[in-house]
Amino acid sequence: MEDFSKKLKDAERLAARSGVSRRDFMQLAMMTGLSVSAAGAMFSKAEAAETPKKGGTLRMGMEGGSATDSLDPRTYADSVMIAASLAVYDSMVEFDNAGNPTGALLESWEAKPGAVEWIFNVRQGIKFSNGKTLDADDILYSIGIHRGEDTKSPAKGILAQIADIKAITPSQISVTLSSGNADFPVILGDYHLVVVPNGFTDWENPVGTGAYKLASFEPGVRLVFENRGDYWMAGRANFDRVELLNIQDVAARTAALQSGQVDAVNRLDARTVDLMKGNNALSIVRTKGTGNRFCFVSRVTSPGFENKDLRLALKWGIDREKIIDSVYSGYAVPGNDHTLDAFNPYYNTEMPQRAYDPDKAAYHFKKSGLSGEITLSTSEGAWGSAVDCAQLYQESMSKAGITLNVKKESADGYWDNVWLKEPFCAVYWGRRLSADQTFTQVYGSGSDWNDSDWRVPAFDKLVEAARVELDETKRKEQYFECQEMIAEDGGMVCFAITDYLDGYSSKVMGVQPHARYDMNDNRIASKGWFA
Amino acid sequence: MLRLIMTRVFLGCVTLFAVTLLIFAATEILPGDVASAVLGQGATPETLAAFRIELGLDRPAYVRYLEWLTNALQGDLGIAMTNKREVLATITPRLYNTLFLAGYAAAIAVPIAIILGIIAAINEGKWIDRAANILTLGAISVPEFFIAYILILVFATNLGWFPSLSTVYGDMGFWQKIHVVALPALTLTMLVMAHMLRMTRASVLAIMSQPYIEMAFLKGLPRRRVILRHALPNAAAPIISVVALNLAYLIVGVVVIEVVFVYPGVGQYMVDGVSKRDLPVIQACALVFGGAFVLLNTIADILAILVNPRLRHPR
Repeated sequence: MEDFSKKLKDAERLAARSGVSRRDFMQLAMMTGLSVSAAGAMFSKAEAAETPKKGGTLRMGMEGGSATDSLDPRTYADSVMIAASLAVYDSMVEFDNAGNPTGALLESWEAKPGAVEWIFNVRQGIKFSNGKTLDADDILYSIGIHRGEDTKSPAKGILAQIADIKAITPSQISVTLSSGNADFPVILGDYHLVVVPNGFTDWENPVGTGAYKLASFEPGVRLVFENRGDYWMAGRANFDRVELLNIQDVAARTAALQSGQVDAVNRLDARTVDLMKGNNALSIVRTKGTGNRFCFVSRVTSPGFENKDLRLALKWGIDREKIIDSVYSGYAVPGNDHTLDAFNPYYNTEMPQRAYDPDKAAYHFKKSGLSGEITLSTSEGAWGSAVDCAQLYQESMSKAGITLNVKKESADGYWDNVWLKEPFCAVYWGRRLSADQTFTQVYGSGSDWNDSDWRVPAFDKLVEAARVELDETKRKEQYFECQEMIAEDGGMVCFAITDYLDGYSSKVMGVQPHARYDMNDNRIASKGWFA
Repeated sequence: MLRLIMTRVFLGCVTLFAVTLLIFAATEILPGDVASAVLGQGATPETLAAFRIELGLDRPAYVRYLEWLTNALQGDLGIAMTNKREVLATITPRLYNTLFLAGYAAAIAVPIAIILGIIAAINEGKWIDRAANILTLGAISVPEFFIAYILILVFATNLGWFPSLSTVYGDMGFWQKIHVVALPALTLTMLVMAHMLRMTRASVLAIMSQPYIEMAFLKGLPRRRVILRHALPNAAAPIISVVALNLAYLIVGVVVIEVVFVYPGVGQYMVDGVSKRDLPVIQACALVFGGAFVLLNTIADILAILVNPRLRHPR
């Protein structure tokens, strides 16, 4: 009986939190043996919880902050500052749960054929926290700080395609790109691109259009926000106050959530999350396969690795399922040797998932004509469990008769000394905004970060063609082919894409999985509310 | 006496200078710099160059060191390279937190350790001596984070007496802080007790085998009085220096505890600084830690002289 009521409660919470349809809910409820009318009544109750309520203090505990953090958007690199930034500032373009761009401070847009010239409309009647009204000049300034000769912004690269940008009227901006890009609005959704008033430089006292204003900031310790009142987007900005604590240690985060000292935490530990599932006071939100992409990357220009058969042997010889089960407790999806994930609208659903096949690995290794051992450089500096993954890889390769020598590098300075230098090493990639960005930055001939050194003119051409293709069917075909080329010929063994695991107190609502980031796109402060 | 203190202070300054020089050199040897550490995987040659010029990293190392040194001598610890905040303003509240936690733990640990050590010496070989030894040695034989997690599990998650997060803020009252910081203070107490207790016990017992102690016994004095009046003053010097060492550990060695309990102390600040190669931050933390060591050791030496008449009036 206890089990039954627990299931029912789960169903009710699911309906409230994640917008389950009435039909799904009824089915779920029926399975637990409830009458139709009773289930119907319960659904209305659950649905009522979907209307946001105002009030309360949300206490968040997050990993991904440091004593060296700042609210200057040119310095953001990790979750705490992204979440803080999105509480104080607004972005130009947002993403819906499926990952499609939607209008934020840039309300709507239009591309001329060829996707070179764009017109963006600036949302009207928006006020900054200092009382100024938003206009096109603020947007131009906020983009401008990431461009130009001497900027250190990480967004500089993605904005280099802007040839000309100007305000036509106070509410309209025209952008001319150096070459067409149908995904340009997606680029403007990058987390560095938040809007501040024209000429703003006082990053200690941020002024934004966001739901909250900053009350206090101790880098690496805590940020406190207070509701600014009167936010432009309906249903948002529901908490009176938001506290964001930096909690780097995952056990400390988990204990804080369990003992009720915080209401929301990010990055739960896959190894212990199952222990919390039975706790009714908590809810766990799992976003499947949008997290980090874990790869072993070979440089195809290095001796040995220029042989395609060797690269295929590396791809067939890894036991993805086993690594996911034993290292990630099942909270990851197998990678298909490229870094696009299944949430991306252009993910190739027709290409079969590569599985462990020691016979094929042995066959390709033999065909390559190479012998001796292969050295894989790995380190905890690449990602926490990179050494464990490499050891399991070594074991699965040995079953194919291939000797993999696992070389442990120093964690400190790993990205400077090993990545892009050693012929075969562990690398993780984060999610990129669009298929185009993924293919250009990770595999494009012109990219500084093309870590497999796989530079193929035919591939570049295909990516360029897809970039300006406004016909969706054609574009999809082109991107499918891109993924096949990388998986078949490239130097990357992408074996797992992790899940995001968020933990919430069950009274926090509005906590759906989101295609881009965990914690509902790191916007739970503005999207959530208390039941 | 005054001359001794002056010498010690001077030597302490020389030590601090050497520490900053070493730290600076070590940071230079580490691969990567603040620009590549901040930009991380997203660095391109152009953004790196722009960042380096902005921070003045294109100048030779000795110029940067001398500049830092001149400013530091005038009390200006500089500005953090990463977030452009004043190092002094950031480190002051954190130093206060570190000292608060260290003082809290010491206030529990030092009296208990010394009293237990004396009791153990008086009752050498009896059950209370053994129990004190077993318990304190057991506590330092497991890693510090293990004790921390056990305390969190029992007192925060199960019993709910104390919070598992010990983050303190400026607007908290003193007693509220005492409550919030209880668990890390308790963890540290368990870590430092054994060393001080064993040293107290051992040095008291060593004195006990001296002829003049035998004389005291032969005079018919009770054991308690012999230990407290005759043995303890002579055993004090090593005890004081062990206490000083442990106090220094409580200030500089608690970064793991800070992480587990999310306590905003200087240790975490230094770790963040090192991982980003933020030189002004690292140097300031090194000064604080080096200073704590020098100061506590100097105080220990002076106290050891003051409690011992023979050292007070050297012949």
